[in-house]
Amino acid sequence: MASIGIIANPASGKDIRRLVSYATTIDNNEKVNICKRIVLAAQGLGVDEALFMPDTFMIGYAVKDSLEDDGVLEATLGLLDFELEATMEDTVLATGLMVERGVGCVVVLGGDGTSRAAAKAIGDTPMLSISTGTNNVYPAMMEGTVAGMAAAAAALIEEPRECCIHDKKITIFVNGQMRDIALIDAVVSDDFYAGAKAIWDPERIRRIVVTRCHPATIGFSAVAGAYEIVEDTDDFGLAITLGTEGRGVLAPIAAGVLTPVHVSQAKKIALGEEYSFVSDTRCMIALDGEREVRVQPGDEVRFVINRDGPWRVQPRKILSRAAELGMYDIE
Amino acid sequence: MAISNEQMKDMYVKMRRIRDFESTAAKLFAEGKIPGFVHLYLGEEAIAPAVCECLRDDDFITSTHRGHGHIIAKGGDLNLMMAELFGRETGYCKGKGGSMHIADRDKGILGANGIVGAGHCIACGAGLSAKIRGTDQVCVCFFGDGSTNQGTFHESLNMASIWKLPVIFVCENNHYGISMSQDRHQAIKDVADRGAAYNIPGVSVDGNDPLAVYEAAQEAVARARAGKGPTLVECKTYRQHGHFEGDPAIYKPKEEQAAWMEKDPMPRYANFLVENGVMTQEEVDAVDAQVAKEIEDAIAFADAQPIPAVETAVVDVYSDIVEEVRDR
Amino acid sequence: MKMMTYAEGIREGMSIRMREDPNVILFGEDVGKFGGCFGVSMGMIDEFGEERVRDTPISEGAIIGCAVGASATGLRPIAELMFCDFLTVGMDQLVNQAAKMRYMFGGKISLPMVVRLPAGAGTGAAAQHSQSLEAWLTHVPGLKVVYPSCAEDALGLMLTAIDDNDPVMYFENKVLLSMKSEVNSFEPIPLGKGKICREGEDLTIITYGKQVYDALEAAEKLAADGISVEVVDLRSLYPLDKELIAESVSKTHHALVVTEEVRRGGFGGEISAIIGEELFDYLDAPVVRIGALDTPVPFAPVLEQYYMPNAQDIINGAKKIL
Repeated sequence: MASIGIIANPASGKDIRRLVSYATTIDNNEKVNICKRIVLAAQGLGVDEALFMPDTFMIGYAVKDSLEDDGVLEATLGLLDFELEATMEDTVLATGLMVERGVGCVVVLGGDGTSRAAAKAIGDTPMLSISTGTNNVYPAMMEGTVAGMAAAAAALIEEPRECCIHDKKITIFVNGQMRDIALIDAVVSDDFYAGAKAIWDPERIRRIVVTRCHPATIGFSAVAGAYEIVEDTDDFGLAITLGTEGRGVLAPIAAGVLTPVHVSQAKKIALGEEYSFVSDTRCMIALDGEREVRVQPGDEVRFVINRDGPWRVQPRKILSRAAELGMYDIE
Repeated sequence: MAISNEQMKDMYVKMRRIRDFESTAAKLFAEGKIPGFVHLYLGEEAIAPAVCECLRDDDFITSTHRGHGHIIAKGGDLNLMMAELFGRETGYCKGKGGSMHIADRDKGILGANGIVGAGHCIACGAGLSAKIRGTDQVCVCFFGDGSTNQGTFHESLNMASIWKLPVIFVCENNHYGISMSQDRHQAIKDVADRGAAYNIPGVSVDGNDPLAVYEAAQEAVARARAGKGPTLVECKTYRQHGHFEGDPAIYKPKEEQAAWMEKDPMPRYANFLVENGVMTQEEVDAVDAQVAKEIEDAIAFADAQPIPAVETAVVDVYSDIVEEVRDR
Repeated sequence: MKMMTYAEGIREGMSIRMREDPNVILFGEDVGKFGGCFGVSMGMIDEFGEERVRDTPISEGAIIGCAVGASATGLRPIAELMFCDFLTVGMDQLVNQAAKMRYMFGGKISLPMVVRLPAGAGTGAAAQHSQSLEAWLTHVPGLKVVYPSCAEDALGLMLTAIDDNDPVMYFENKVLLSMKSEVNSFEPIPLGKGKICREGEDLTIITYGKQVYDALEAAEKLAADGISVEVVDLRSLYPLDKELIAESVSKTHHALVVTEEVRRGGFGGEISAIIGEELFDYLDAPVVRIGALDTPVPFAPVLEQYYMPNAQDIINGAKKIL
């Protein structure tokens, strides 16, 4: 039996970046629509079961009701049963349960933060992240139908990981204790509270550590990307320090916002290598764009990059493989 | 602009003032000292103080039936408020308004309001007025999730958008319209989504975290002042009590209530301030003691105020006409 | 002396104050580029610009609410509802907000706002665009209500309405808009002051708005029968010129109240009751009310004319009394 998991975060796409930049707005009813397209496409290619994470907007129920009413639901639609906390932990828990149930692929709808949470529990199961939020780096903009087909292919073919990239990730330690992870970037900012979570003011940013970076993606990783490109296939990451001096670059730090920034130091970090500093002020580390880890003066902060992130499905590649295998042929 | 320690402290003082005022009002209502209805702001204290921290004295606010918090945050006088709740002649409204109609024009408070959804239009008018008079004043419109199903909400967002009015629409999404939970009263979860329909930026923040509210409000106010138009800021929070005092709120699931009590903004913010050295525990305690005293004084003040002379019932219907006193 | 239409009187009243005071503004549906649905504000956008003569979306609640908020914060707005029938849509803002804020807030706020309310039947506009709803508003403490019948009164009452520190409901009769009359004074007309349009000895007709002309026509015909009729035009429904009513009724000893509204529960009943309560000793016969049928306003011209009170109805009413 082939099954896929669907994680849709109803909280993504409404944060303060709509106010401080020109970020996309996507409402939850559109997320329901995207999920319907994923389910229909996946069942069309032969997926028998789709498992949904429960959420406060009840996206899974909405999808089920609507497709049943239309008389087009063939696959089994299951909803994981656990008590919601309405936090990121729901995503971590749901991903873990889906992996336990043996889904062939987990589709994640949300921003970088949602993918980051799913990555904590995804293990070796292929993951397909679709952007529904704030013009992200990790999830890709993709039509739900294509995502559903790609997820189906990942669940149905023998060696789906051959059509995936095994992503890097950053592990963050404070005073030797593992605190959290990031898929794309860990940014040290002068804030000392989470506030509205997102970061947007370049004046408050001190350091940026990235697994990969390119000027073609937006956010603070783009600052590093404007300085030097690091691909997802490169076996190293990059750490840069911002200041008032050094090479100036223009970087798309948010939707529609290109800002000049000065990079005073830059250092390639090989996989497994440690990059650390001792903080002389209180600050926050934003992980994939959201302030998460609080640091006190004197704390030693360490970043380690390894290729131990999710297996990220490459939709074009896996759909080509599916074609080679005759998955679209009818009798 | 980063928030200063002074501002962080000020927000705490106001939050504490609201918490104590409301807890006291609950008690006094139960004792029968306050007639009529009171709708309390308990649980939502992080919002109004954080928003009003971004405002000037000459800015305006419109409020709701759940208005005590907004009025205190905009600088309302506790003595006059308490006297009004007691229905006294020297209360804010000379005993003619009560809990649901406290206003202070000099402080830009355009009134609490007993009609759900009424403040939106009035806020547009205040915004239009600032624009026509050529000032850079702004108006904050406070409202709940329930009011976003009223036509006036939609009319006002549209009007504010086409005229680029300096209005900040602050939705205190406490997840209930009277007894009806949000998932039963509307087909969306995030009121912020509704901004897009009117080409207004809509953002959603943790309404139990004053720092999150402050950051969003600060940006929204700056936008309004600069003539860039309105913003919809949704603050997710929870009404810890019933709709009004005396409502046992049997429609609220116990688990939900318990989960939100865990997120109570008061201890959460106080702990934050102490942990980060913004205030010492002694300073927090001193604020608590000072506020407790203010509330005590307000009760004493209110108690000592005269009950309105019945003849005053005919005054203030109009600016220049006193209605006749006659047999009814 | 100048001949002006009723509409020009309204426009001139607004324009005089808008020239003097930058805080006076006009807004409503199609009042700007279109010049108002009935052309009353034609050309004003050219003189005052689109900021101050402002077209609004079709949002009656927001229109009246905007006037409330604007008047509470320093402007003297004039809001127009295209038809007074649309009051239903903006009623909360008028009744629960505008009318009550001063009182609820202990007299500490003023709302100097005018709401223009085109009213009345006779244009073939049927049941939702023809009503006379003044009684709804005279019933609400906190509102002042005026209803001019000629260009000079339209102008003078507009000046007063704008100058007043309370919400003033300004009814304008659609059938009268194009009627020309002499304007001798460009001065404000105090609220609560009616006028005698025709002096007489035998019967007082108390009326306002378009019915003034039906009353005058009836008076003329009754004069031919030797009945001398006095016609009182109230002009202002609240405050109400009770003194003028008393003066006239105590002279003629007969009172006929004529209004265009549906008679049931109308403002005519209020006037009639006041006369009954306060002037009973002067009356030689019961007060009679003339009003429209107790039905919605019908569409077909013959039905609409049948629905509305006319001079003959007034004559019949007078003959019932005398």
